[in-house]
Amino acid sequence: MTRVLAPVRGRVVGLAGVPDPLFAQAMVGPGTAIDPVREPGEAVAPIDGRIVKLRPHCYVVLGAEGHHGILVYLGVDTVELKGTGFELLAAEGDRVVAGQPLIRWNPAEVAAGGRSPVCPVIALDAGIEALSDVAVPGDIECGGALFTWT
Amino acid sequence: MIERKVTVESKVGLHARPAALFVQTAAKAPMEITVAKPGGIPVNAKSILSLLALDARRGEQIVISADGEGAEQILDDLAALVAEDA
Repeated sequence: MTRVLAPVRGRVVGLAGVPDPLFAQAMVGPGTAIDPVREPGEAVAPIDGRIVKLRPHCYVVLGAEGHHGILVYLGVDTVELKGTGFELLAAEGDRVVAGQPLIRWNPAEVAAGGRSPVCPVIALDAGIEALSDVAVPGDIECGGALFTWT
Repeated sequence: MIERKVTVESKVGLHARPAALFVQTAAKAPMEITVAKPGGIPVNAKSILSLLALDARRGEQIVISADGEGAEQILDDLAALVAEDA
């Protein structure tokens, strides 16, 4: 069982709240999404594990048991920013603990650029039935309980 | 083993939408399907985690492999997905 923490502080909006059908229709996988507070902040590791992918706009942390991979996107279409406004605080291959800062960014700047800073948090290769205790829509702290993956 | 070697044309690489479509298509097939960079270790083509970790970028070649009944067709479908800038 993997307890997944909120990678950013903000408001839980669910995948339906992501303005991109790729996530809203759960094509990538089940999960939820957080609309982050519009202030500079750090996106953190949602679980203990190893960073298998770290890009300025997204990252994947793989749990210690090797089959629970969590994908976090920092905003929609932020790949187009090519890293501008994002500072990497860790590296691919690093072992990390849940809550460890991985990327410094500013959701307010992303929003000012006309893009949604909403952050999908996705359980990779999971069925929807594998997720439980999904946080209800509303405010959540960075590191708050987001969902459980069994 | 039947193989298709194909160049990734999507500008985001085999990530996001192209990766999701690729996995959804692969998952419909009954047989094992793998994907690898040339000379690299093959990974499960039905796993979005594996595809994201593979990190195939635009302009890179990948090799998709499968065996058995219908393998030709599914490999053609997957190769077509990779070869279009979706």
